[in-house]
Amino acid sequence: MSRGRRSAVAAAVAVPLLAVTVSGCGSTNLTAGRLQASIAATFANLYVLQQAEQGNPRPSPRSLDSRAACQKGGTPDIPQDGSGGWLCQITYLVAGPGYPVIARYNVDVQTDGCYAADGDGPASVNGSPIITGPGYQQVINPLSLIDGCFDTT
Amino acid sequence: MSLAAGRWPEFAGPAAGAGRRPGVLVVWRLEVAKLASLLRVRAIAILCMIVPFLAVAGLNLQSATPGDTPFGQWVHVSGLAIPMVILGFGAQWLLPVLTAVVAGDIFAAEDHFGTWKTILTRSRTRGQLFAGKFAAAVTFAVAAMVVLTTADLAAGLLAGRQPVVGLGGQLVPAGHATMLVIASWASQLLPVLGFTALAVLASVATRNPVAGVGIPVLIAWLLQIVTLINLPAWGQQALLSTPFLAWHGFWAQPAFYGPFREGLLTSAGWFAVCAAASWLVFARRTIGGAA
Repeated sequence: MSRGRRSAVAAAVAVPLLAVTVSGCGSTNLTAGRLQASIAATFANLYVLQQAEQGNPRPSPRSLDSRAACQKGGTPDIPQDGSGGWLCQITYLVAGPGYPVIARYNVDVQTDGCYAADGDGPASVNGSPIITGPGYQQVINPLSLIDGCFDTT
Repeated sequence: MSLAAGRWPEFAGPAAGAGRRPGVLVVWRLEVAKLASLLRVRAIAILCMIVPFLAVAGLNLQSATPGDTPFGQWVHVSGLAIPMVILGFGAQWLLPVLTAVVAGDIFAAEDHFGTWKTILTRSRTRGQLFAGKFAAAVTFAVAAMVVLTTADLAAGLLAGRQPVVGLGGQLVPAGHATMLVIASWASQLLPVLGFTALAVLASVATRNPVAGVGIPVLIAWLLQIVTLINLPAWGQQALLSTPFLAWHGFWAQPAFYGPFREGLLTSAGWFAVCAAASWLVFARRTIGGAA
């Protein structure tokens, strides 16, 4: 009887412990490609929202042709996948293909594929958490802090 | 007065319907009635009802926003962001506590009060007793989640029905957002039931109400820390804390449900293993005799 008890308790703690001990081996689906695709599309949607809030003409998200290039920060040999701090540069077009604009973000990626991207310039795009609308009202700048998620399954 | 042949007076026969009711149902009803009379169960029910409204009131009193959780910056723009902030902030550690408080105690309390001998002499088998008690713990978990979800949604709708920015940067209209809030909260039920079974196992195995409640809560907190580590995909998937996060995909654009499907398997696995282990321990223990 006490054997049964002990083995049941052991089974209950074994599963998480096993999961911890094998950390580090195996592959992750938190890749740069998935992060780039997600943050570029999310940025485009929020850029449209920002323009609408400011009373500017709305571009279509597609016309921005936004693309992201993300690198994981730290030492040069750090593996370019997984959760942690990433640096992303998002290139988008507001005045035709000849004039790309680049927005920079510090991106904190969680293990479940959700991320919080903190705007790192240019200041006019994502520098301020509050922007001014057409009637001088203060509204949240949707590009200052971006929350998004991508599929890791 | 004489009796007609083959007839017994009314009081001598079985009570109406008593013989036909399955034993599990009787135990379940009794356990649910016992739970409903417990002070801490009533306190939890009241807290589930008022805490979302207190959260809304608290957020309205200040201009700052809870910035480090998804939807945090939008709480003053749309009330529908508030239930999601509560979910993102509290679900992983609060919901296991919610179910463990009952499920971790429901078996061990009989040890604590020394009442196993009394209830096992009744005409219910050990299996019926186990199933009835287990079902009562599950009932409480489901009821608490329904109350909490309803209160959360009501508080959010009360605070404002503006469109809310989703996790793909898209603007989600209020009607769709309401559905997503309900779906997100409903998805929490899976890991909550996993934790219910885990708490029952702790309750049966330790025979101690404090350990029965404490062990699943401790495991929930440990898992939350483990979640921060970069695990391989299958390791992440095996954790009972991961299904708590599956709702993020509902709000993405396009929405993805892979984590939800995997969470369904993970939760079912934990539930089955813990429930089976609890039964094995419970069926084999000696009650009332020398061990």
